[in-house]
Amino acid sequence: MNAATVLSSLIFIVSLALIFSEKINRTIVAFAGAFLMMAVGEALHFYNMESAIEAIDFETLGLLMGMMIIVAMLEPTGFFEYLAVLAARASKGNPVRLFILLGSVTTVLSMFLDNVTTVVLIAPVTVLISEILGVSPLPFLISEALLSNTGGVATLVGDPPNVLIGSAAGFSFNDFLIYSLPIVVITWLGALILLRYLFRKELSKRPRNAKAVMKLNPAQILNEPEKARKILIVLGAAILLFFVHHLLGIEPAFVALGAAAVALLWVQPDIHETLIKVEWRVLVFFGALFIMVGGLEKAGVLESVVGLVRDASNISPIWFGVGLIWVVAILSAVVDNIPITIALIPIIHGLGEAGMDIGPLWWALAFGAGFGGNGTIIGSTANIIVVTLSEKTRSPITTALWIKRGLPVMLATCTIASILYALLFRWL
Amino acid sequence: MNLSACMKKNVVAIKINATIREAAAIIVKKHIGLLPIVDKDDKPVGVIGLGDLLKLELPAFVDFVADVDFVHDFGAVENTRPSAKTLKETVKSLMRPIITVEESCGLLRAYALMLQQNLHDMPVVSGDGKLVGIASRVDIGVAILSTWAKVE
Repeated sequence: MNAATVLSSLIFIVSLALIFSEKINRTIVAFAGAFLMMAVGEALHFYNMESAIEAIDFETLGLLMGMMIIVAMLEPTGFFEYLAVLAARASKGNPVRLFILLGSVTTVLSMFLDNVTTVVLIAPVTVLISEILGVSPLPFLISEALLSNTGGVATLVGDPPNVLIGSAAGFSFNDFLIYSLPIVVITWLGALILLRYLFRKELSKRPRNAKAVMKLNPAQILNEPEKARKILIVLGAAILLFFVHHLLGIEPAFVALGAAAVALLWVQPDIHETLIKVEWRVLVFFGALFIMVGGLEKAGVLESVVGLVRDASNISPIWFGVGLIWVVAILSAVVDNIPITIALIPIIHGLGEAGMDIGPLWWALAFGAGFGGNGTIIGSTANIIVVTLSEKTRSPITTALWIKRGLPVMLATCTIASILYALLFRWL
Repeated sequence: MNLSACMKKNVVAIKINATIREAAAIIVKKHIGLLPIVDKDDKPVGVIGLGDLLKLELPAFVDFVADVDFVHDFGAVENTRPSAKTLKETVKSLMRPIITVEESCGLLRAYALMLQQNLHDMPVVSGDGKLVGIASRVDIGVAILSTWAKVE
């Protein structure tokens, strides 16, 4: 061990601890950590500005940014709220039907769009629907967060760890549909059935005024239908291109950025209003983490970790993968899953270079990072959003309640994913 | 002209240990929007308004759905009443800090203060801090406009 490995590991571990403590904003921590990594690297000659910029995965940033711009344009049209109102009307005020419909709408949206935005926009309407029905909003809010976290694992663009994994492993959009989607669909159904059981008491209560939802006027909430139509056409075209991007030899980021450019040109929204909604702090967070992990790599830290993991990996590859699902899931429940994923990617690459078949490990990483976030309130941004919103209502979501509802869902989804992973290992 | 000329002088106040139910009853009986709260020495310590009480009944979604026009029927919340337990709590739990003006204050200054603080009624105090009246935007506004008749 030398000064470079010790110092770079220290910078990374202290940064992770600070992100975990939530004392300082995670983007500020990562930004400062990235700079410190560069400065120490420069001083000890293992890392510099140039190699730091090379460490940034612009494929990931481009895909995220393109999708964020499209969502930022779709958001003010009221399209998300419109779908929630349609779901409410279709439920005719039946709580179980409403639970399935709202959960499904949120999941499908977050399979293609940012799930944070989806939950941010759907959750307030959910409170509204519950209040006019006269039922508790808790089962709906918690399920929306958990089901969208779970469903997002199905697609390349469904959640940020998948974008990272897809870019690092060179998986196409269809690879996710072939390998991840079937496993996620079964896992998602498992989560839905479990939530239906856990909330059986709340969901069996008859609403005090079931008819009120029929008087919600969806046309009135879709305040810019023409704009929504244009953006949805572009989004639809982008999704179609995602299906064939590998055949055309173009990257998903190329499709997303192109779609954003076309949508911007067609709709010509107020650019300031639109760009302010793009989550720059998330993009900066990603960039900074890439730089930090790049420093770890250059300092030789990841190489030693790969060595350690390889020695411990004399167990069968199936168990190794299942173990990875659980380790990543537990880590993702307590710390942000993005730094975990960014740090594990070069380690998995390293194991591949050492001769291990890493194809299935990428899926294990995706499942762990995706499903682990269900375990705690801080496990995913969607969870934090529904909890913060519920605190402004008469029925706040407490940590104790999350342990009784979210944690079982995390354990169930990870168990189902582990079983399917082991059964389907040969084909992964 | 100053405030003392246009304020309502028969000001109703409530003691700090009164219940929410009692505060609501006085507001209903006197048909007023703001009730000053006084301590046992009749010194004003806070206010409770119509809006503070109605918040107990207003659904949470009103705070985070920007335009509720599409909700044509408020359904169950239309008949939600605060619990008997809530009504038994003292007004202290809903009390807001009191913002007062002295009775010698000029009308335009008083109106500007209410506009900036988003107040509809403002308690008026004497030089030694005693509650002597209450003035609404309408009281002050009408008093100002009444001077326009003399403009030549």
